[in-house]
Amino acid sequence: MNSLLLIILILLGGAVLAYLAKRITPMLSSIVSFLAISSATAVFFTMTSSTDIVEVNIRNFTLEFGLNAYSWLFGAMVMGVSALVSLYNIAYMKGKDRLGYFNSNFTLVVMAMMGILFSNDWISFFIFWEIMTWSSFLIIVYNGIEEGKIGTKYMIFSAVGGYAMLMAIVITNSQINSFLISDLISSFAGLDMGMQSLLGLLFMIAFSVKAAVMPLHVWAPRAYSDSPMSFTAIFSGLLSKMGVFGLGIVLISVFAKSTNSNIIVYTEILAWLGAITGVMATFYAVIQTDAKRLLAYSSVAQLGYIVVGLAIGTKLSVMAAIFMAVMHAIFKGTLFMAVGAVERQTGTTDMTKLGALVRKMPWTFVAALMSIIALAGIPPLGGFIGKWMLYESLITSDHYFLIVMTFLSSTAAFLYSYRFLFGIFLGQEEKEFENVKEAPATMVIPMMILAASLFFFGMFPGYLFEPIANSMEFLGMGQVDWSMTVLSNQWGDQVDTLSIVNSIITIFGIAFIFLGLKNRKKTRYVTTKDIHTGGEIPTENENLTYAVDFYKPFERAIEPAMRRKMDFYYNKFGNGLESLFEFVRRIYTGNGQTYALYVIIFLVILILFSEQIFL
Amino acid sequence: MDNSIWISILGFLATITLAFVVGVFYGGLVRKVTARIQNRVGPPFYQNFFDIVKLYSKTTAINHGWMQHLGPAFAITASVTSLMFIPILNGQGDMMWFENLNFKGDLIFLLYMMVFGSLGMALGAGQTGNPYSAIGVSRGLSQMVGYEIPWVLALVAIMMQAETTSITGLIDYQNANDTWMMFESPLAFIAGLLAMLGMFHYAPFDVPFAPAELASGPASEFGGKYLALMMTSGAIMAFVKLVLFVDIFMGGASNLVMLLVKTFLLYMVPVLYGVVSPRYRTEQSIRYFWGWPTAIGVLGVLYVVFIR
Repeated sequence: MNSLLLIILILLGGAVLAYLAKRITPMLSSIVSFLAISSATAVFFTMTSSTDIVEVNIRNFTLEFGLNAYSWLFGAMVMGVSALVSLYNIAYMKGKDRLGYFNSNFTLVVMAMMGILFSNDWISFFIFWEIMTWSSFLIIVYNGIEEGKIGTKYMIFSAVGGYAMLMAIVITNSQINSFLISDLISSFAGLDMGMQSLLGLLFMIAFSVKAAVMPLHVWAPRAYSDSPMSFTAIFSGLLSKMGVFGLGIVLISVFAKSTNSNIIVYTEILAWLGAITGVMATFYAVIQTDAKRLLAYSSVAQLGYIVVGLAIGTKLSVMAAIFMAVMHAIFKGTLFMAVGAVERQTGTTDMTKLGALVRKMPWTFVAALMSIIALAGIPPLGGFIGKWMLYESLITSDHYFLIVMTFLSSTAAFLYSYRFLFGIFLGQEEKEFENVKEAPATMVIPMMILAASLFFFGMFPGYLFEPIANSMEFLGMGQVDWSMTVLSNQWGDQVDTLSIVNSIITIFGIAFIFLGLKNRKKTRYVTTKDIHTGGEIPTENENLTYAVDFYKPFERAIEPAMRRKMDFYYNKFGNGLESLFEFVRRIYTGNGQTYALYVIIFLVILILFSEQIFL
Repeated sequence: MDNSIWISILGFLATITLAFVVGVFYGGLVRKVTARIQNRVGPPFYQNFFDIVKLYSKTTAINHGWMQHLGPAFAITASVTSLMFIPILNGQGDMMWFENLNFKGDLIFLLYMMVFGSLGMALGAGQTGNPYSAIGVSRGLSQMVGYEIPWVLALVAIMMQAETTSITGLIDYQNANDTWMMFESPLAFIAGLLAMLGMFHYAPFDVPFAPAELASGPASEFGGKYLALMMTSGAIMAFVKLVLFVDIFMGGASNLVMLLVKTFLLYMVPVLYGVVSPRYRTEQSIRYFWGWPTAIGVLGVLYVVFIR
C-alpha cells in the first residue's frame, strides 16, 4: 500500500477510534491517539519515499498526492513533535472532560497537517486546510464557545483566509486550466501582470492568517493561550508553520518566476509587516502576567521573524527562516508543555501568584530553561543559529532598518524570557505551593527530548541544514552551500559553532566545579526569607515577592506605542458594519403597508422610466 | 602533539591574566579618579586586587539552591568566552599569543554572547528571592533594550561600510585604508559612544545597581567566592567592551601600550560623565537612548548608505 495514504488512514482511523475508545475508559482515548500518531510517525520515517505518488484523474483535472524534499522537512517536524506531544497529552488530559471529542480532533489536526504537506494540487490542499481549521476550531471551543468569543474570532479570520485561498485557486484554474501546484509555478510567468499581483495577494492573505502576520494576527494570542496546553504546543508550534509552508511556496517558488517588478513591493511590505508584528507582539508579551498569554504573544513575535526571513528571499534568509521555523516548533512546543505541566501541578499559570518552583519541578525547569535560551537566541543553543543567519542575511542584503527592528524585538524578548523563568520557577517561595510535585515521567520525557534536540542542533546545525538545503533546491533556489558546524554569510564572515560550544562548555565546566560542586556540600540551604533586606528581619508572613508590574518602567517607556490595539480598529470596523446593517434593517420594517408602498414606488418608477428601461 | 596546542593554551591563560589585571586595575583607578573629583583621598589603585583576593579566600555558609551556584558560573563563562573572540592586538605585534578564537566568531555572535552572562547572573539572582535583586534585574534588562538600539545602529553602519561583520575584518579594513572608523563614520561613532555610556552602568545609567536604593541590586545576595567570581567577570567584561570598541572604531592597537592608552582614554568617557551626573529613572534612561542616540545612529546609517 502507498505509504502516504497509509499515514493519512492511520491518523484518520486513530481519530475515529479515539472518539469511540472514550466509551471504554476516557484515558484509553488519549492512548489510542498517541498510538495512532506514533505509528504514523514510524511509517513516515521508515517507509516513505519520493516515488510514492497517488494520482487521481477526475474528468479534466488531476489530483496528486506526493512527497518532496520541502514537505519531507515539514513532515518530519510535524510528526516528530506531535508524537512527543501526544505522549505528553496522555498524562496532561487525564481526568478532564470530553476526552473523546478532544483526542479525535487532536488526531484529526495532525492528519490534516500531513494531508496539506502531501498535497501536490490546490484542491486537496484546500480540503485538508479546511479540515485543519475546523478541527482546531473545535478544540479552541473545548472550554466553551462563549469564552471571550475566541472561537468566533478565529473562525472569522480563518474564513477570510480560506476564501482568499479558494478565490486564488479558482482563478488559477481558470487561467492555467490545472490545479497542480507545479503547473502554477511553471506557468506563473505567462500570466498577465494584474493577475500575478492578484494571485500573489490572495495567497499571501490566505497563508498570513495562519502565520499570524499583522494585521491578521488578532485571533492568535487568545486562541493559543486558552486551548488545552497539549494542543497549544501543536497549535503554536506546528499549525502556524502550515502558514509558513504555504508562504514558502508562494514567496519563493511562485514569485521568483514573476515578470512583474511590483512584486518586490509586496515582499518588502510583507517583510516590514513581519518585523512590526515581531516588535509589537514582543512588547505585548512583556506586559503579560499570565504565562500562557506571554508565550502566545511570543509565538506571534517569533513567527514575525520567520516571515521576515521568507519575504527577504535571499538564500541565507530563507535558510534562516526555515531553520527558525523548525527551532520554533521545538522550543515553543517545549515551553507550552512546561507551562501545561506547571498548570497541572499547581492549578494556575498566573506569574504573579506562582514562584520558586525550581526546587519542586527541577526537570521541567531545565527543559524550560533550555527552550528559553534557544528562544532568546543566546549561543550555543539552536535558536542562535537562526537569529545569526537572519541578521547576516538582512545586513548583506541592505535591509539596514529591518535589522534594527528585528534586533529591537529580540532584545526586548530577553525581558519576557526572564520574566517567564523568574515568575514561575524563581523568586520567593510561596506557602501555597509547598507540596507541589514534579510532573509525571510521561510528561517530563518528551520535554527533555525536545530540549536536548535544541542543544544538538546548536552544536551540529548541519544535520538540519542538509534537509533545508534540499528543500530550498526543490523550491528553486538552486544549489545552497552549507557545512556541518560553520555558518557563513555572503561577505565570507564565519562563525564556528563547534568552537563556541567547546569554549562555553570548558569554561562553564571549570566554573561549575569550582563553585557548584565544591560549595554545594559545604553550604547549607536556607529559605528565601533568610536574605539581606537592609537590616530588617522579615517575618514569616511578610510578603517579599516582586511580581506585580514587573516591568513597569519599561511599560512607561513604551506607553505611546501601546495606546491602540489592532482589536480597536477591527471593533470600529465591526461597529461600522453594524450601523450599515441597521440601515438595511430600516428598509424591512415588517409592516405590510410599507411593503405596499415599496411596490407602488417600484411600479411608478417602472411606468415613468419604462421607455428608457425596455427600449 | 605539536607545540601549537600548548601555545594556544598559554595564550588563553595570558589573555585572561591580561584582561583580569587590566580590568581590575582600571576599576581601582576609577575609584581613585572619582574620589579626587569629589575631593576625597580615595583608596589606593590596587585596592580592588586586595578585595578580590580576600573574597576568594572566604567560605560561604548558605545557599538558596542550584541556580545560585550557577549564576556566577554563567557570568564568568560569558565574559571569558567573549574575551576569546576579541582580537586584543591588531596583528602587527605579538599576535600569536592573543589569537585564541578570533577568527571563529563575529560581531553579531559577540552581541549575543555578551548578553548571556547578564541573563545567567539574573537567573542566579532570581533564585535568592531577594526583591532588590529582582527589581535590579528588571531595571537592567529594561535599560538594555534602550541602549542596544543606538549600539546596533552604530554597528550596522560600520559593518555596511566595511562590508564585513567580523571584527578582524573591520580591523583589516581600517589598517588597509590607514584610517580609523571614528573618522570614517563619525555619526556611528557618536551613537556607539552614547550607547557605551549605558553599557558601563555608570551614573546616570546605574539604575540596575543603584546602591542608594537597591543595595547593589542583583549582586546583593552573593558573597565570598560568588562575589569574587562576579567581580572578576565584571572586570574582564569591562576590558572586553573597551577592546571591542577600540578594535572597531579606533583601528585596534599594535602593541600593549597603545592598547592601554586607547582603552583608558575611552574608559574615562563614561566614568567622567558619570561622576558629575545624578541617576536617571529607568524609563527616562530608556527614552534617553531612544531619543538623540538613536536619531544620530539612524543618520549614521543613512550617511554610510547614501553618501559613502
